[in-house]
Formats: sequence, structure tokens, C-alpha cells
Amino acid sequence: MNRTHNAFWQLMFISLLFCSFTVTVFARGVNQTNEDFIAETFSNDLPKSKVVWIKDDLRPAIANILGHEYAGLRIRYWQKAQRTAWILEEIGKESPITFGVVVTDGKIEQVKVLAYRESRGGEIQQRAFTRQYADAKLSEQKLDRHIDGISGATLSVRAMTSVVTLALYLTQFINQTE
Amino acid sequence: MNRRMRSLHRSMGAAIALFVLILSITGILLNHSSDLKLDKHYLTWPWLLSHYGVGDVKADAIFLLEPFVISQFGTEIFVNAKPVTNAQRPLLGGVVLDEVIVLATDDALILLNSEGEFIERMSAAAGVPPMIQNIGLFHGAPVIQTREGMWRSDFMLDKWELISLQGVGWSLPSPMPESTKKQLVKYFHGEGVTVEHVLLDVHNGRILGPIGVWLLDLVGILLTILSLTGIWMWLRRFR
Repeated sequence: MNRTHNAFWQLMFISLLFCSFTVTVFARGVNQTNEDFIAETFSNDLPKSKVVWIKDDLRPAIANILGHEYAGLRIRYWQKAQRTAWILEEIGKESPITFGVVVTDGKIEQVKVLAYRESRGGEIQQRAFTRQYADAKLSEQKLDRHIDGISGATLSVRAMTSVVTLALYLTQFINQTE
Repeated sequence: MNRRMRSLHRSMGAAIALFVLILSITGILLNHSSDLKLDKHYLTWPWLLSHYGVGDVKADAIFLLEPFVISQFGTEIFVNAKPVTNAQRPLLGGVVLDEVIVLATDDALILLNSEGEFIERMSAAAGVPPMIQNIGLFHGAPVIQTREGMWRSDFMLDKWELISLQGVGWSLPSPMPESTKKQLVKYFHGEGVTVEHVLLDVHNGRILGPIGVWLLDLVGILLTILSLTGIWMWLRRFR
């Protein structure tokens, strides 16, 4: 009886340890620096960065995608051949989340959470979640697909979807204006 | 016995008279708070704001970059009393170029235009040397000191050359000007404390903190005893 009792508590302890580990995996912090993301994206053969100024018709179009005014006058990007990398920030609930997005041939190649600062909703950093955006394209200023949400991370998911849409829109914009 | 009771009744009455007056007046005023618009009138007496802990603001960093006062509160960057962007790292300094204000944290440069609007944040990915320690000006050109050495750029800030210079005017922190401080107090704490709030706190004793609450409890007990002694003496008259 005593041995069964001990085994039960050991199992509980291990379960608790496992739970705390899984929480830690999706915790806040910097996953990758901006420069490491760009270096990784272009295999250390860095293209010179360029900027797109947010003015004229672009400002309301961005506000329409994000659901609010963009807090900045220009956005920096890195482009080489058909690949364009963007580093964009968007507030989930209270704090800015830094996203790295790579667009290739008008489709999403990769989306990554570079820095997550919210206290909840860190599950969006999982590869299983970000994979949903792979090959996503723009369709009338929206993504061409439905993104499954995560319970308890609604605002973070919304932020990621807005940023991915914005990256696709901006890539389309710079390719048209260049 | 009756004389002793009467004496006790009088002493207690005198002791709590002031409190009863305060409770009555504040109570009547609070009853008509909406009609008197007491929730719309603000008190801004410095000692009162200080008592409520809303009379002051303490910035983590302050830099005077004419014509603006740049300050950091936590992760928020303010131009005068307006939040313009966020910075996860402490603000180290700033310089004013021709049409751009450049602020430095250890991992990025934050660019504002001449109207104080946020332009963008430039990090090492945009070619800015990492591990910045300070920012300054040398004959109008931006210079940053990093752990690796001193770097100079032009107004574009995307090409930096490692250099050694004497006589760089480094950015230094400043005290907060009073006028900006007042605006920031208003931003963080609003107009002040409403008359209704103060009256309510006087009425329930919380204006004096936990002691005030206990004091009001004591007044309540004394009022109860006063009522009981009053009733006892009144009943005695019919015997």
C-alpha cells in the first residue's frame, strides 16, 4: 500500500515537472535576434536592406490590414531575387511580438516568432502552428486560407495573421513600384 | 449612578462631536454628488496629489534633444508627454541630425522625424554596430561607442566606419523640465483627484490610511454607546 502511495506521488511529481517544462518551452523572451534571422534566411550572404515609406494610399491600406494605424513612418526589408524578408512587430494583447516573415514568389515561405513578450498565448511560437501559413497567398488583401486558432491565444494568433498578411501586401507593393 | 452616566454621556458627546460633524457634512455632500458634479471637479493641490501618490512621475531615462524632451518609462518612449514607440532595452542617449532625431539603446537606433514621430528602429540587421554604449556627434556626424570601438556614420545611418576620434560630444542625461513633468503627471494620473473621491475617503476614514479606518470604527462604537446611554437616561426620567 505504502509503495503504491509512493509511486503515485512520484508520478504526480514527474507530471508536474513535465507540465512546467512545456510551459517553459513557450515562455517569453527572444528566440532569435533580428540579425540572426536575416543571416539565416539569406545564408549569411546578406542583401543590403531597403525601406518602404508608409505614405499616401499605403497608410490606409496597412491600417485596414492591421485594424489600426501603423506606428512608424517606414518599414525595412531585405530582398534577394524572389525572396523578401520582413521583420515586423505587432501587439498581441499588451506587448509587442516580433515576427520574421519570408515571402517567396508572392507566397509565405516562413514565419517565425523572433521575440515573444506576452504572458499568455506563447503557443503561436510552435512550428506546428506556424506551418499553417506556409504557401499562404494574398486574396483581396486577406489570406487565401483559414487559420485555426488556439484557445487562450486568440489575440496572438490575430497578430500573427495580420503580420503575415501585411508582409504579403508589402511585398506585392514593392514589387509593383520597383 | 444617573449622574455618572450623564457625565459619561457628555464627555463622549464632546469627544465625537467633530467626527459627527465631518461625517454628516461629507455624507450630505456625497448624497448629492451627481447634482453637485463632485465627480467632475478635480483637486490638484500638490500635497493632496502627493498623498495619493499621483503627484510625481519618475522616468527611467531623460534626454533633452531640442526642441523635445525624450524620456523612457519602462518600455515606453515619450516625446514630451506623448508615447511614440517602445524600447525593450534602456535608452542610452540621443542626438539631433538635420531632419532626424536618433535615440540609442544597446541593440538598436530609434529614429524620429523632426516632428517627433517614430520612423523606425534600426538594429544590427540594418548594419548598425551592436552592443552600443553611447551616442554622440562629431562635427554634425553621428558617432556611436560600442564595446568594439567607435563608429561614425552619415545621416543615412546604414554605413558605419570604425574610427578613433577626440572631442565627440556624447549624449548626457538631463533632469526632467517642470513643464514636461506636469504634462506627464497629467498623462499618467489624469486631471487630479475628484472632490467625490476625497469626500468619500474623508467619510470612511481612508484619507488617513488604515489608522483612519480604525479611528472611524472607534467613533462608531462611541456613537453606539452614546445612543445607549441616551436611551437609558431618557427611560430613567419615567421611573
